[in-house]
Amino acid sequence: MKIQVLFFGATADATGERAKRIDVLAGANAATLVDVIASDHPALRRHKLLFAVNQQYVSANTTLNDGDELAIFTAVSGG
Amino acid sequence: MTDFAELTTSPIDIGSVARRVIPPDCGATVTLDGYARGFTKSKDGSVRETQYLVYEAYEPMAIKEMQKLIDAAKDKFEISNVGIVHRTGRLEIGETSVVISVAAPHRKAAFEACEWLIKELKRTAPIWKKEVFAGGEEWVEGESLPSE
Repeated sequence: MKIQVLFFGATADATGERAKRIDVLAGANAATLVDVIASDHPALRRHKLLFAVNQQYVSANTTLNDGDELAIFTAVSGG
Repeated sequence: MTDFAELTTSPIDIGSVARRVIPPDCGATVTLDGYARGFTKSKDGSVRETQYLVYEAYEPMAIKEMQKLIDAAKDKFEISNVGIVHRTGRLEIGETSVVISVAAPHRKAAFEACEWLIKELKRTAPIWKKEVFAGGEEWVEGESLPSE
């Protein structure tokens, strides 16, 4: 299945990308995607990561569905 | 005279944000003007001078999270209207990064709701701040997480 992955701030710097389409097997979750991405971009592992699927916060073990938008980012610092 | 949650890359006119939330049955509007601070104290106590800030947002989700906060605040406090505008992009020191205006029949609820809103916004809205200083730059990672 295809997942659209988005990066912001520190995670965009760590991966050198803002958006990436990744093909993974059914049953994958956010943690699976981090493993895939961190194999090319180990700097991603230096951060405590948060996840949102289709613009809702989720935990790392939430199962993804084909076509989901997964945002990977660090603890927010707006205000 | 409605609620609103917006992002903008332009300077924010604080007074106009406040005026947009005022309905006739209200007696007070409390407005927070959050702006870019020039000095940051780190955990080891040292102080660093910031040259400028860059804010980045996951825009559609940030708008949704801010709207959720407005709805929650209106359930929780005796308030009438809320407006939130957050700036993104590069901000010079002293420029306004966020404005929250809360109109209420009585000021106490407006003060309390405004404090609650900025605290929750800093915890949940997917917006990030980069501090640029002499010799480097750093994305600030928040201290508390949305799930906590």
